[in-house]
Amino acid sequence: MKARMLLLSIAVLGVAAAFPAAAQTTLNVVSAGDQNMVDYVNNYLGPKFEQMNPGVKVRAVGTGPGDSGSQKIYEKLSAQQKAGTATWDVDVAVVHQRGAATMVDEKLLMPYRNDVAAGKLVSRDTATNALGANVDGYVLPMFHSQIAFAYNPDVVKTPPKNFTELSDWVKKNPKQFGYNGVKGGMSGVGFVMGWVNANSGLGDKLEKGPYDPAAKATIEKSLAGLKDFNQYVVMTPGNAGTLDMLNRGEIAMGPVWVDMFYTWMADGKMNPKVKLSLPSPGLPGQPMYYVIPAKAANAAMAKKFIDFAESPEVQADGIVKQFNWYPGIDPQYVQSKMEPAAWNKLFTDISPADLSKNGRPFPLSQYFTDIVEGYERVVLK
Amino acid sequence: MSSEGPSRVAHSAPSGGSAAAKPPAWGGQTPRWAALALVLPALVVVGLFFVVPLLLSAVGAFRAADGSFTLAHFDKSLDLYSRDLIFTVAIVALSTVLIAIVAIAIAGYLTLGENPRAVAVLRWLYRWPLFIPFVVAGQVMRTFLAKNGMLNHVLIGAGLIEPISAESMLDWRGIVIAFVWKQAPFVTLLLAGAMASLERQHIEAARNLGAPRWRVLIDIVLPQVRGTLLVGLVLSFVTMLSVLSVPLMINPNSPTMITVDVAYRINTFADYAVANALCLLSLLLAAVGAAFYLRHAVKRVETGS
Repeated sequence: MKARMLLLSIAVLGVAAAFPAAAQTTLNVVSAGDQNMVDYVNNYLGPKFEQMNPGVKVRAVGTGPGDSGSQKIYEKLSAQQKAGTATWDVDVAVVHQRGAATMVDEKLLMPYRNDVAAGKLVSRDTATNALGANVDGYVLPMFHSQIAFAYNPDVVKTPPKNFTELSDWVKKNPKQFGYNGVKGGMSGVGFVMGWVNANSGLGDKLEKGPYDPAAKATIEKSLAGLKDFNQYVVMTPGNAGTLDMLNRGEIAMGPVWVDMFYTWMADGKMNPKVKLSLPSPGLPGQPMYYVIPAKAANAAMAKKFIDFAESPEVQADGIVKQFNWYPGIDPQYVQSKMEPAAWNKLFTDISPADLSKNGRPFPLSQYFTDIVEGYERVVLK
Repeated sequence: MSSEGPSRVAHSAPSGGSAAAKPPAWGGQTPRWAALALVLPALVVVGLFFVVPLLLSAVGAFRAADGSFTLAHFDKSLDLYSRDLIFTVAIVALSTVLIAIVAIAIAGYLTLGENPRAVAVLRWLYRWPLFIPFVVAGQVMRTFLAKNGMLNHVLIGAGLIEPISAESMLDWRGIVIAFVWKQAPFVTLLLAGAMASLERQHIEAARNLGAPRWRVLIDIVLPQVRGTLLVGLVLSFVTMLSVLSVPLMINPNSPTMITVDVAYRINTFADYAVANALCLLSLLLAAVGAAFYLRHAVKRVETGS
């Protein structure tokens, strides 16, 4: 009899424990990008959102760095679209610009910017334009990131102000500049884009279009100079590889992601003397976008989640202060929520004026392809 | 991951030969169906998840965007990546040669060494890299072989090189070092096993007649285990051809191995067609190894050794 009571009470307890779990909504957030993006949702954003919305569980999954991460999300959504699935198992995705452009084009996403309050807080043209594709309404930038030169001021007294000065500098200081080519991560790709932008004379056309296939020859001509340049530089193994080599004193300068740089600095992984500079006519940067798949199972909750993630408080405390990214919404709303010291830290080496002048978007998708393929054809062969 | 696959193949080849001789003992028609039913799940898995994707990928390499037949993807592959193809063959071939030398040296000492303590220590030590995945090996080499990495620090500290002449080995040399470090124990394991099962009298006779140990190794032991060595090397060759993590972590820039280019075509351009073409080209390289392997395995079954 006693044993039966015990069993019964265990069963009751079991049901009681299982029930809230069954009533829970799980919000599936799938994020492209480095591990810090997944950490951001799992350790920071998710717990806060769960606290405000009892019964909601945020589950974040990463698909890997670079455009390939977005490519995996695209392939998953596209497969569900082709299979005619009624609801898709991704509620919020975080993707790169190229990925967003393709997904909007193939009708894999849902327009939502006008449904969330924070939609009015965005100001940069990245909210409407992704590498020449119109993504107006479908995306909100989670943050902006920027590529810049990191340099060791013990060796480099005055960093080169433009690419011509850089070319002269590497000839005087061979094997002191390092970058990671086009196959080892986006900071290297960004450097190549900056090089073509500076040396081809195509300027704005690369970023604003229209696309002209005939420009290929001009691009390849500017890349021939890069082949010569490469003889004086070191190839690093990846985005982190450049920072590693700077740290070990193996190179004195190289292109890096600003947010990665500051995060390493904050973690004490970086030589504190190393500084940043943004040469003219600029290096590219990019936002990551929050998007909602067209048939997301929990679309309403997804909108609420993004609205929360884009609120000035979260942008100030999470995006800028803790993860060292530039804000996704207009900085004026964010700055007022932060102590001046924390805000200024982000702009110690690169002033807001330099950032707006020399922080460029990546070229249009077609030009992007022409440039990286041109790099393989002209520089690597 | 890829290192354990081939070793299983190595063992199954000879045992497959002996199993073929047994069925008559079962007698009758039914057991044959039973046997077929037993292997069917395995066959379906292999067919569905290996043969079909392989065929699809082969077809994809010849298919233009509109579905028609084309060789354009191969043109592009050879145009952009022929240097990487040559580089891949050179790196893998060089690694295979070095693996052979290291494996013969270690297995030889394990068989002929006269200091029991040194033999025991070596036997215990040499297997460690077997349990380290390729990606970890790549990661370790990245800090070990860097310009200001551990290797150079040790060399400078020991006064063997001047600080100024220290250079980074994170290029083809790094890849070769990682491969040899990772694959030599595998070949050694096979080779030492084969050497241990040799008749000791041959060795002792040669030693009694005054042959030094290196002559015993080269003239007596090696010729008898040549087959095992060849199989081990071929399996290593094919395994190394398919490793992505090591070249990606040590040197993803040109020239690089073909696996990096395959990943790059897919990740950056979503260009499965050229990636498929590159895969087929590396399959051709692996086929050379497979041909060697099959010829030898068949010979072994026929001679019954």
